[in-house]
Amino acid sequence: MSGLATLETGLLLGLYALLAGIWGVLWGLAQFRQTQICGRSAAAAYGLHVLAALTIILWTPLGFGWKSLIVGSSLVFLAIPPMTWRLLQHTHQKEGSEHDRQPSQYSSRIVARL
Amino acid sequence: MYRSQTLALKYFSAAITLFGVMTITGLISAYYYLNPDFLLGILPFNIAKILHINTLVMWLLMGFMGSIYWFLPAELGRETAGIWAAEILFYVFCAAVAVVAVVFIFIQYGGSNEAALWFINQGRKYVEAPRWAALGIVVIMVVFAYNVIGTAIAARKTTGIITVLMIDLIPLILLYLIAFPAISNMSADLFWWWWLVHLWVEATWEVLIGCIMALALMQLLGTSRRIVETWLYIEVALVLGTGILGLGHHYFWIGTPNYWLTIGGFFSALEPLPLLGMVVHAVYDAGAQHMKTTNRPAFYWMMAEAFGNFIGAGVWGFMITLPQINLYAHGTQWTVSHGHFAFWGAYSCGVISVLYLVLQKTRNLAFVDGPLWKWSFAALNLGLVGMTGALLVSGFVQAFVERAIGGSTLNAFISGQENAWFVDGMVARFLLALVFTAGYVVLVWDVLTLGRRAPAVAAVAPAQ
Ligand code: HEM
Ligand code: HEM
Ligand SMILES: [Fe+2]
Repeated sequence: MSGLATLETGLLLGLYALLAGIWGVLWGLAQFRQTQICGRSAAAAYGLHVLAALTIILWTPLGFGWKSLIVGSSLVFLAIPPMTWRLLQHTHQKEGSEHDRQPSQYSSRIVARL
Repeated sequence: MYRSQTLALKYFSAAITLFGVMTITGLISAYYYLNPDFLLGILPFNIAKILHINTLVMWLLMGFMGSIYWFLPAELGRETAGIWAAEILFYVFCAAVAVVAVVFIFIQYGGSNEAALWFINQGRKYVEAPRWAALGIVVIMVVFAYNVIGTAIAARKTTGIITVLMIDLIPLILLYLIAFPAISNMSADLFWWWWLVHLWVEATWEVLIGCIMALALMQLLGTSRRIVETWLYIEVALVLGTGILGLGHHYFWIGTPNYWLTIGGFFSALEPLPLLGMVVHAVYDAGAQHMKTTNRPAFYWMMAEAFGNFIGAGVWGFMITLPQINLYAHGTQWTVSHGHFAFWGAYSCGVISVLYLVLQKTRNLAFVDGPLWKWSFAALNLGLVGMTGALLVSGFVQAFVERAIGGSTLNAFISGQENAWFVDGMVARFLLALVFTAGYVVLVWDVLTLGRRAPAVAAVAPAQ
């Protein structure tokens, strides 16, 4: 890889991951504020993330295997926010009136008796 | 208050003190890049750097231990087992750190013999303490593990978080033993040394801070135990699933077989994924609580931990983790930039968050807020992020001018170091480090005076 390509690819990889993070944050915000602007900016962040992925795939001298990895992890990045959210909502719902909400010292949910 | 919690306070004081030593030695190390004659013949760069990164490891370990000594008795409903031994060892720990620092500063070098290994420096980066002190650290950590496991046995119960913690401490301590053997083959030496460094920060420490943040989350936001535990199990599985073989990203150029290029690149490229999950979780908690909390600094530092872990480790690490990029980025200021951001985000912010939680309880404050923590929060984070930006610029120059164009010759090294962008990056880093240092000073001030300032910033809670 040439020197310039190294810098460009490195920066693109950083941008790629950073945009995935921004996508995650905005997606979460959009769940709380059900405004269009939030939802759209989350979509836009993921769009930019895909753009970074495409640039990496079409422009950089990385090999085929690495480019497939980029595609694959983009898909996982897409799924992580909704999946995490559903898990969190699920666990929070089940919480209900259980004594579980108490500070730890009053409700050691014991996993094992020794 | 349990004795274990009094001990926790001592550990936090020691940790914050060493944080200060780390900051000063960081400033000194950074200043050599502006003026190479600085302290010529008195204190060389490498000694300042040794002090910087070893105090880093020590203050974080002390912060972790303090956090566990704080939460453990409340979690298991009894005094920590063998607390008397831990109390004695705390002073041994502090004395050993002080003696080692004095030896580093005044003796600096030994011959290439056993005596030097025993009394001056064992030589592995980040864990350079001489053998006598390293043995002491082993004893301290073993007693620490005994404190945790023994308390669970004495209480005849364990919780999910404590179980994860107990299991995690075993590899964490075993890995430290890699600091000891003298290995003369450079490849074999680095091979094992990376087990220690990588499997600490990207596996066992991540699990440890996960346990600490889970305990903190319950205290801070009253999140239910089942939620934090479910979450902890998933995180641990994902972090270990990607992080253990991610070790291969250090096996690209040290004489290890070629297959590490693929394994290391592949698994470490997956490491940011679970970190994104943590960020989403942070957003969820922040939103669900409407940012309402009785301890704003602890809350904000906890948020900073989730975001900093993702950006510092996930994003900054991802830039340099594919072998094609690492070929040129390896060991440049680009790496240093990542190292600072990741250690700060993943670990330092978490320790500071717990510190504020502890202070709320010990000073009996209904609310923790006020202007000081905001100033220190802003200055520390802006200073650190700014430094990593400046280091990135210098690192790019090295990767480009010294490595890619120059082919890593000595001449190329010099032209990299003399490049105007590199030099500007170093100057900017130093200036931003001063901002960081100011943030540290305000942090200490806030921590010392919290709840004691007049007029009281925080209302005193009714006696419990
Ligand atoms: C006042 C603030 C700081 C300054 C001026 C500073 C400066 C430095 C310098 C000059 C080095 C040597 C880099 C080289 O070999 O060229 C270094 C290394 C390092 N510092 Fe800092 N530092 C500061 C704060 C921190 C903080 C807050 C952390 C972590 C939380 C940290 C973690 C590290 C690590 C891990 C290394 C080793 C990096 C490597 O060799 O790749 N430093 N620092
Ligand atoms: C909390 C987690 C992490 C911490 C504290 C951390 C810290 C560090 C430090 C201090 C170094 C420099 C080691 C040295 O040469 O002395 C380093 C190197 C490295 N880190 Fe991380 N790191 C973390 C996570 C990650 C992640 C998730 C990735 C990948 C996505 C990554 C990729 C790398 C790579 C490739 C290097 C080697 C750079 C080189 O060849 O010079 N790190 N890390
Ligand atoms: Fe690593």
